[in-house]
Amino acid sequence: MRTNPLWMNVWNYLVSKADFWGSMLASHFMLVVWSSCIVIILGVPLGLLISRNKRLRDAVLGVIGVLYTIPILALFGFLIPLMGIGLKPALIALSIYGIMPVIRNTCVGIEQVSASFKEAADGMGANRAQILFRVELPLAFPVIFAGIRTAIVMSFSVATYAVFIGAAGMGTIILIGMRTYNEGMLVSGTVLLALTTVLVDRLLGWLEKGVQKKFGMVEP
Amino acid sequence: MVEAIEVELQSVSKFYGEDKVVDAVSLHVNQGEIFVLIGPSGCGKTTTLKMINQLIPHTSGRILVRGKDVTELDPVELRRSIGYVIQYIGLLPHLTIRDNITFVLQLKKYNKKMQRERAMELIETVGLPVSYLDRHPRELSGGQQQRVGVARALAADPEILLMDEPFGAVDPITREQLQLELLRLQETIKKTIIFVTHDMQEAFKVGDRIGIMRGGRLVTIGTAMDIVRERDEFIRNFIGQGAIFSALDTIPAARAIIDDLPIVQEGAALDDDVLSLTGDWENIFIVDGQRRCLGYISLSEIKGQRKIDREKVTACPPPCRPGDSLKKVIEEMLWGNRAWLPVVSEEGYFLGIVSFQSCASLLVG
Repeated sequence: MRTNPLWMNVWNYLVSKADFWGSMLASHFMLVVWSSCIVIILGVPLGLLISRNKRLRDAVLGVIGVLYTIPILALFGFLIPLMGIGLKPALIALSIYGIMPVIRNTCVGIEQVSASFKEAADGMGANRAQILFRVELPLAFPVIFAGIRTAIVMSFSVATYAVFIGAAGMGTIILIGMRTYNEGMLVSGTVLLALTTVLVDRLLGWLEKGVQKKFGMVEP
Repeated sequence: MVEAIEVELQSVSKFYGEDKVVDAVSLHVNQGEIFVLIGPSGCGKTTTLKMINQLIPHTSGRILVRGKDVTELDPVELRRSIGYVIQYIGLLPHLTIRDNITFVLQLKKYNKKMQRERAMELIETVGLPVSYLDRHPRELSGGQQQRVGVARALAADPEILLMDEPFGAVDPITREQLQLELLRLQETIKKTIIFVTHDMQEAFKVGDRIGIMRGGRLVTIGTAMDIVRERDEFIRNFIGQGAIFSALDTIPAARAIIDDLPIVQEGAALDDDVLSLTGDWENIFIVDGQRRCLGYISLSEIKGQRKIDREKVTACPPPCRPGDSLKKVIEEMLWGNRAWLPVVSEEGYFLGIVSFQSCASLLVG
């Protein structure tokens, strides 16, 4: 059966099906971008909220910890009867996975801001909002950002499963490649996914360094 | 001179449940003075300080700041009008030195141009180069950070400064330097400063008046010399042996000057008036037309002559300034193996001398 070497199959696929994998990659990115937006918009305020109240904090982190241990396919099993298939349940599943590190890091980041900084600001007459926006959030930002980075990178791999719930993404290419034993398609999808994930991770890592530098956390 | 009272505590107490952390403390702090609160840890000194800007609300009594009851003021406005310096400095690590200094001005929403100007002015006031404004706190040494802490507290030009063990986190040499700088700075800024410390030396050095606290109560208030003469056993133990020598650090040489000396102008003949001043003092001082001390000659060298032989005039030992502390003066005398030192003003005028005896009689008196 095998007529061409693997690399040639991959090359042929990449060249001839650029439209298809391009749109799948775009869908994959959209899944990650939207779920990350949900995760940041919900996760940061939630993390902030629970950092103010120890009992709420333990309860919320406990619930999220449990959700986190559910395998993604089992989670789909819960979500499909509730919301059917498509983009919506995929986004929700991704958000559930991504929100954990964001909530946890926000909470921990805020908690670890030394009391002396807050007291200094308080003593100088900063009100509560000023303490939050000028002291707590900037000082916690590197930790919060690290959580967001983890969430984004993780959702890149988790989004591959979205194909099982009927949402398009790189998972589609890999799954079709497997089912049809299309070596070129399978390997192309895998390599593309791995490469973009590593690239995004590098990019975020570089951003994180910049953020830390800006906030005076590391030697410039 | 009657001094205006800037801060007054009237029987102020703080309870945590049954626990009396501060118990009926009454004190007043005059405008322009440095009032030091000192005591063993847990005596309530920091709590007392924090009640003044209401970081900790008091349970009973009245606290007046510039005549107004603090409970009737907006706590945020109150704190913005009082400079606050804390032990662990609390410079915000994510902000540049400029933004740290102008933090209160930002809270008060001053315009940017004014903030920049004020930052330049203040960094120079505390003796740091302007180029430091763009650095981050972690690039500065502990002592430099503490100077920025003081600059930050002065940003909004408050009348009152609260300093909570401000120099507690730096090494002894830097601490002494910072203390001297504070005193030098205070000569120009003349703020009302309430200063908490647990270091008696520091209290003697910077305090115009000192209040000693114990178990939430204020046990005594007085100047350094009042404190070292206390008979109370707790106070004596607390200030420790040798406290009197620390107190010497706070008394200027000016108070021990002997100025009724036999002084003769260069070239002039000795007359009986001058000789009558000698008493048990065996030296005659020679000054020039600008009243600069040229030296001295002992009576035994004169041997009844009316003319002074320039050959026999001895140059004066290195002089001290009227603002030097007695401790420094005594130290200089011991180092130089002298029984006395001339005191010379900034302008170079010969003011008189200080001797071991004049220092001692001041302490006994």
